Amino acid sequence: MSRSEGTMQSRLLRGAHRTLTGLHPALESLLAAVVGLLVGAILMSIYGFDPWKAYMGLVKGAFGGSYEIASSLSRATPLILTALTFSICLRAGMFNIGAEGQMYMGGIASVLVAYFVLPPGLHQIVGLIFAAFAGAVWGIVPALLKVTRGVSEVISTIMFNWIARWLALYLAIYVVVDPRRPEKTLSIPVSARFPVLVPRTDLSYAIFVSIAFALVIYFLLWHTAIGYEVRAAGLNPTAARYGGIRSKRTMLLSFILGGLGAGLAGATIVMGLPPTYAIYGGGGLPQLLNMGFDGMAVAMVGRNHPIGILIAAVFFGGLNAGGRVMQFYGAKPVPLEMVRVVMGAIVLVMSIPELIRLFPAIKKQGEKLIGWMRRMSRRGEKEGAA
Amino acid sequence: MNDQSAPSETGFFLKADRITKVYSDGTVALKEASLEIRPHEIVGLLGENGAGKTTLTKILSGLLPPTRGRVVSSKGPIRFASPREALDFGIGMVHQHFALVGTFTAAENVALSHERPFTRIQIAKTQQALQSLMEESGLHIPLDVPVEKLAVGEQQRVEILKVLSRDVDLLILDEPTSVLTPLEVDELFTLLRRLKDEGKSIILITHKLKEVGTITDRVVVLRHGEMVGDVRTAEASTEQLARLMVGQALDEEVDAVELRTDEIPQARVREPIDRAGQGILHVEDLVAKGNTGEIAVDGVSFDVYGGEIFGIAGVEGNGQTELVESLTGLRVPMSGTATINGTNILGIDPREIYRLGVAHIPEDRWELGLVLPFTLAENAILGVHRWQEFRGPLTLLKWGRINRHVRQLMDRFDIQATGPSAPAKSLSGGNQQKLIVGRELAKDPAIIVASQPTRGLDIGAAHYIRQTLVEMRDAGRAILLVSADLDEVLAHADRVGIMYEGRFMDVCTPDELDRERVGMLMGGATEKEVE
Repeated sequence: MSRSEGTMQSRLLRGAHRTLTGLHPALESLLAAVVGLLVGAILMSIYGFDPWKAYMGLVKGAFGGSYEIASSLSRATPLILTALTFSICLRAGMFNIGAEGQMYMGGIASVLVAYFVLPPGLHQIVGLIFAAFAGAVWGIVPALLKVTRGVSEVISTIMFNWIARWLALYLAIYVVVDPRRPEKTLSIPVSARFPVLVPRTDLSYAIFVSIAFALVIYFLLWHTAIGYEVRAAGLNPTAARYGGIRSKRTMLLSFILGGLGAGLAGATIVMGLPPTYAIYGGGGLPQLLNMGFDGMAVAMVGRNHPIGILIAAVFFGGLNAGGRVMQFYGAKPVPLEMVRVVMGAIVLVMSIPELIRLFPAIKKQGEKLIGWMRRMSRRGEKEGAA
Repeated sequence: MNDQSAPSETGFFLKADRITKVYSDGTVALKEASLEIRPHEIVGLLGENGAGKTTLTKILSGLLPPTRGRVVSSKGPIRFASPREALDFGIGMVHQHFALVGTFTAAENVALSHERPFTRIQIAKTQQALQSLMEESGLHIPLDVPVEKLAVGEQQRVEILKVLSRDVDLLILDEPTSVLTPLEVDELFTLLRRLKDEGKSIILITHKLKEVGTITDRVVVLRHGEMVGDVRTAEASTEQLARLMVGQALDEEVDAVELRTDEIPQARVREPIDRAGQGILHVEDLVAKGNTGEIAVDGVSFDVYGGEIFGIAGVEGNGQTELVESLTGLRVPMSGTATINGTNILGIDPREIYRLGVAHIPEDRWELGLVLPFTLAENAILGVHRWQEFRGPLTLLKWGRINRHVRQLMDRFDIQATGPSAPAKSLSGGNQQKLIVGRELAKDPAIIVASQPTRGLDIGAAHYIRQTLVEMRDAGRAILLVSADLDEVLAHADRVGIMYEGRFMDVCTPDELDRERVGMLMGGATEKEVE
């Protein structure tokens, strides 16, 4: 009897395992978003807010009209790029936490266009090139340290984030500072600003930079031999070596590409986000802060695929845009921080597939337990018989 | 009748009773294997790689459950759920790969092995216990040095002490001498004899015939998962054991042999191989280190000519892997030369080596040969993804052409899959190997380096791959066949090199070799001893 119980249990476990691991990646992401929102709702109820009204406000604020949609897309613009930074490196088998710092460097570099007089069009391109270059330089140093000295890229990119943060702050306050307004950098000249796409919103043409970069990365990874090498080295470095792929090169390349993306993210904020068109040193770079780290969450929800990232970035952009509106709904204003709680919960749920992958271990422990129970019961029977 | 006297009364300490083990991938590792272990006895477990030695001992020590059959103690059948339960019962195993924490001292490692959840680890107490145990056993190791600073032999002693400290009655050692110097081997054997005199049972897994003769009381021979011999060491000759280990064409094997040898008559009427000058592959005095820094390939020289299969036989771990890796760009050797049609291939990138006409069927198809999450199409261009056929300007991949190529491969090599976009991990082992073989042969190579090409495959797939290699040979290609399957090498190679500890013991044609001689050479017996 105990045996049939055991097989039934293991069958149940196996069935659950199959169902959970068989979930389509997109479904997993959707599930994570739903659970994240639920966690947020529970917390709101605990603290006496009305989650239903708050979420109504959130949705209206994010996608309720053309103004709202535009501001969600505007917030998605840099997130797409920093998410790509993380994903490209992850596809190459590396953990690049450095999008934040690379984005700061890109942002500061794009301010330099203020020193040039160029026709519109060319001026934007020059700004993008400056930013992309600065981001790539900031990204390649940790990659070189990894390739030549074996320094863990996780540690070095985190440290580089801090260096970049204080360096950018210094440059913003002392070097590219606006002589008339010392709390901010020079403003981007009108000829270098990305024009506003939807009138009276902060959505600019910069979003096309993000979309174009996502498409280029998609094409590169799945339709060129270079991208093929990056993916192969990321999935199985040994087989890649057997296939004649030089993994040091793919590592460097992925960090350069990632740095380009993060640098561009900085540029889209500085050159493409009305109304400031400058970096505020006062307040500690508030426009740039956390855009790199949020990109990692977007990458996770977007399953590290350029197309998935486009969708996930709009979702996160919507959370950010709608969160501001959410504050004004319901009897009690819901603090903006609640949106970050939701984001945090989503990231946690997204990590659960990794937990599910540990399922065989859980199953083994379960079987052990069943075996132990069986032995105990048998021992009990024997003792009873004696 | 008390518990203590029970074992001697029934005569055995532990018994494997008709144990069959089928792994989840369908490999039958053991077929109805039975074995009795008595106190005061050292049993040698002899067999080739894949004969089932390790599987059997893993079952005895609680690491694996048997599929059928049972483990019986003097008190009745027992079933261990974990190695810890087996240890509690008095069965300890020292594995080939040590399970030590390098930065811990010997005492800390031993204490760790005694650790139970939610109990305090008592280093000082363990250290005292170890001191007295070292006095008793004569095993001496520094207790306060991190084990990574100890010599390999000393590390092994830590492992043995770890097991002895649990007061075991049966000690299982998996190829313990493979990592030891001759002096350390002598010391180990002295210890084993002392343990035997104390009444302990010892199982020694080995493929070295000489060791069996010096240390064991009884030899049990396994071949293809079956128990083929259980003899007293004193009554068995080395030749007899060698024959048992590598097997003979017995009646029940005829089918398999026929399946393998149907090309042999053709082989006889082939045109004689032109062995003038250097071969397509020319190797001279190659020396290469293994992963742990030991000399793995110790001065190997040979030529492989067009139209011949050069086989390398030998027990795994005698330098074959390092030799193949050196020749295929995966390992930089220390010295020596190797050329393909006169061009150096040592220390250059695999991609360049493939351009010189080398195809490599690697030994580890999951780690090396395939990127498992990749599709069939993506795997089919691994290593040739930058060739003109598949790559356009800006390194754009020509997926249309690649998919057509994959469909051709599927047809030609009979690869069962849903299509070019099926992930490689969804294929069976045989189809995965056919995919690799197909990809490599599509390179139109001058030389094919095939390492364990049929390992783990069912008879049909194995036969197909062997036949393909023979066809390539008949088409004038040079083939280097490295295999732990002696039958495979003897049936197909035109010349065979027998590798032992990084050297060729002998290079000759299969006709000059009987199995006995091969068995002895593989076990390290010198030419003189064989005569």
